Amino acid sequence: MRPDPFPDIVIRGKRMFATIAKLLVKRVLTAIPILLIVSALLFCILRILPVDPAAMSLPPNATVEEVEAMRTEMGLDRPLYEQYGIWLGKLLEGDVGRSIHFRQDVTSLIGSTLPATIELAVIAMVVATIFGLAGGLFLFYVRGTRAEAVMDFFSILLLSLPEFLWSLFLLLIFGVFFEVLPFTGRLSPGFERPVVTGFLLIDSLVTGNISTFFNALQHMILPCLALGIALSPSLMRVLRSSLLDAYQDDYIQQARLRGLSEKRILIRHGLKNAILPTLSLMGVQFGFLFGGTLLVEIIYSYPGMGNLMVDAIRNADLPIIQGAGLTYCIAVLVISIVVDSLYLILNPKLRVR
Amino acid sequence: MTNSLGPILSAHNLCVESLGGKESFPVLTDLNFSLQPGKILGLVGESGAGKSMIGRTISQYLPNGFAVTRGTLEFDGEDLVSMAPERRRSLLGRDIAFIPQEPLSGLNPVLSVGQQMKEHLLRIGLAPGENWRERALKEFEAVHLPHGAALLDKYPHQLSGGMCQRILIAMAFASRPRLLIADEPTTALDVTIQARIVKLIAEMQKRDGTAVIFITHDLRLASQISDEIMVLYAGRPAERGPAKQLFSAPAHPYTRCLQLANPTISGPRRGLFILPERMPGLRVLKELKGCRFASRCPNAVEACTESEPPLADIGPNHIAACIRTEKTPEIVPPPLAPGRQATSAKAHLLGEKLTKAYTTAWSPFARRSSFKAVNSVDFTLGEGEFVGIVGESGSGKSSLARLVVGLDTPTEGRITLAGRDVTANGNVEKAYRREYIQMVFQDPQSALNPRRRIGSIVTQANEATGLNNDTRERMERAAELLKEIGLPPDAAMRFPSQLSGGQKQRVNIARALCTLPRILVADEIVSGLDVSVQAQLLDLLLKLRDEHGFSMLFISHDLSVVRYLCDRVMVMYRGEVVESGKTETVFADPQHPYTRSLLAAVPPDDVNMEWSPVLSEASYQVE
Repeated sequence: MRPDPFPDIVIRGKRMFATIAKLLVKRVLTAIPILLIVSALLFCILRILPVDPAAMSLPPNATVEEVEAMRTEMGLDRPLYEQYGIWLGKLLEGDVGRSIHFRQDVTSLIGSTLPATIELAVIAMVVATIFGLAGGLFLFYVRGTRAEAVMDFFSILLLSLPEFLWSLFLLLIFGVFFEVLPFTGRLSPGFERPVVTGFLLIDSLVTGNISTFFNALQHMILPCLALGIALSPSLMRVLRSSLLDAYQDDYIQQARLRGLSEKRILIRHGLKNAILPTLSLMGVQFGFLFGGTLLVEIIYSYPGMGNLMVDAIRNADLPIIQGAGLTYCIAVLVISIVVDSLYLILNPKLRVR
Repeated sequence: MTNSLGPILSAHNLCVESLGGKESFPVLTDLNFSLQPGKILGLVGESGAGKSMIGRTISQYLPNGFAVTRGTLEFDGEDLVSMAPERRRSLLGRDIAFIPQEPLSGLNPVLSVGQQMKEHLLRIGLAPGENWRERALKEFEAVHLPHGAALLDKYPHQLSGGMCQRILIAMAFASRPRLLIADEPTTALDVTIQARIVKLIAEMQKRDGTAVIFITHDLRLASQISDEIMVLYAGRPAERGPAKQLFSAPAHPYTRCLQLANPTISGPRRGLFILPERMPGLRVLKELKGCRFASRCPNAVEACTESEPPLADIGPNHIAACIRTEKTPEIVPPPLAPGRQATSAKAHLLGEKLTKAYTTAWSPFARRSSFKAVNSVDFTLGEGEFVGIVGESGSGKSSLARLVVGLDTPTEGRITLAGRDVTANGNVEKAYRREYIQMVFQDPQSALNPRRRIGSIVTQANEATGLNNDTRERMERAAELLKEIGLPPDAAMRFPSQLSGGQKQRVNIARALCTLPRILVADEIVSGLDVSVQAQLLDLLLKLRDEHGFSMLFISHDLSVVRYLCDRVMVMYRGEVVESGKTETVFADPQHPYTRSLLAAVPPDDVNMEWSPVLSEASYQVE
């Protein structure tokens, strides 16, 4: 008996788990220097801004001495690297500072707005995925026919409209004209607002508050539709073109020659390959979505991170800007790790060499 | 079920036409054949002759706009063309099986071998109580695939081309099909693997009594394994007959020319017959009145251009579409160009103990390992000398070429070029090397920038040197080069996509010759081309050497080509040179067992000689 030429590769089960665990460890380790660099950049850039945090946190009639005393108290008279060190030290304790404008801890401000934005982004992404996959499959299905040209036209039309136009458009039609859906905030007045995790939909379900759940869901429909519709055309087009690419490959032809049905070929052979580029686009889109909800949140007066950020910038509220910046950075890192893990599960070429 | 008396597949006056687009044109014309159970029909012809179209007609997965316009194609008495699609689909994979050309892309990359095997086995149906896994292992055993159980968990990219092809063969034969269509199943594989795969198909075919259509561009290979051969030319059969008879006494001039265009592997070296131009395009054929081969035929006379010659009987079961078959044996190859030995004993290029080791990328999770792609290789290349490097894929041929041209720097050893040490491969050495050495790459499709015109591509080297680099000078040089490689002057303004495969490879050669280097390094530059185009290119290389006197390192897996072209040969195996010497001596009297097994893997020139490749299983391995 000759030795086994494939000694230690068993791919499913435990082995797959180990591979993903390895990736997680690797990515978390690389995330540390990235976060350090981002925090340093945030700190430095905001220090360069011509804004004096000490003066801002005092009433307008404060004297120069009072400002100086405040500067010393806030540590602004020390060298920059020392300030960064102090800031970083506090950051590690979970203290991002106090908002100058809202007079509240930044952590609690972010804590109350982040879940709203996550909820918005996740549901918008689900909408985009449903529209994108369905549209992409339909575009592929009608390939080479006149319907494709028509669909193509519409997908380009969709692609060229930005999400804030969709927001206004949907708001006017369904909110103002037909008056079927609410379009301000997360909840209509008079509804009880349970707080467990901060995610309104989850909290209302957990506490059995069904009417709140449906009211919140109604509030989410328009902003999520606007974001989802704006994101879906590129997903459609990528899925369609990757399906077309996959169908050029020999294994599709070979599957036909083995007598498999077209439906089975599409789902098991075509889609399984074509989903990979689509997935990486979704990862990129989801990352952008965190920053991209900003305009939509403003239009729908949605109390999320976007609105908080706009307020903070308008008031030059440095601690909030810093905190929000770091939050975005962490969100993007987490999303990319999740997408990479999914990729690892779906693409054996990455998993085993 | 099986109608054992009649043919399993028969075609009567089958015509396939392209109807889409502005004009319709014939793709296959007047196809007549009948294939008995358990027999092998070889389909031979140049690319574009319509060989693969026959397979596609059988499956009825024709390209858009193509349709059968006349005739019938019957599988076991049922007409495949008019058959309900559902019925046809139930035959595919079960009674009619296919083996593809590219084994690696014939399997789905994201599904494991087991998943794909299971899907197929469940579709063709298992015996009651049978487990798909056990059945899969049984089928793997039949095609001599070791470690079947471990194989089920593999993905295609982890396996070699030969293993993938075995898996596809196991799948094809799992249902004990009555008809198998193998479309160039070994073209993408090494000679030794080719021999094993072909022998395996023959073995399986005997086991199940399957009828086989074996499509290949290699007449020699087809004659070794087929019972009957059909030679196609531009969509129409030129000749059909019993394999041995057709090969030893071809009646159609095209068959004879194809045979003579292929270099031999044994006996005295002979010149190659150069088929001029290329096959007429299918669109042109509609206008053509006479014999479609007349424009390239050495025996053509006035009468040939008047009407299409009918397929006439010229012996038992042997027909040919030629009105002057008696003249065919008179076609002889031109005399062999006198071999050219090194003009001076002085080594032009000298490699001493060359070693290239590759180390895996650094990772905190795995120990770095290294392997030697090229291991302590010594070689010389004299002025005006052509030296061939042969070996299987992975033997280090291309890695050695990369070291020679300076794309890689050797880990150990020394390279001396015209008396100067260029091992260090710094900017000075690179500039020096550029003057002396140019490389011709394997695939002209990807080696030529599709956005540049031919005139600009062939004079690209002037951009690096900065000499003669203005537009007028470059156009003049391009015109000279195109003339030398036998392309019309107006080709200078065309884009690569407007040329044929053979023409692109000529351009590829012309580009390397632009600054008149003293040494060419050519990596598999004729593989994947038709024999007629291959003969044209080999002839061109010899002609250019006579004019410019350059020397060449010629890398190829095709031993007969090396035998024809090269003065000396080096045989590489796992990074080492195991044998080298004068081509004729090495081929006539190989010393190393590896050289012997390489030579035995080539189908012999004489169809009556037994082809007995060494089928040792020892070298099956993961790539």
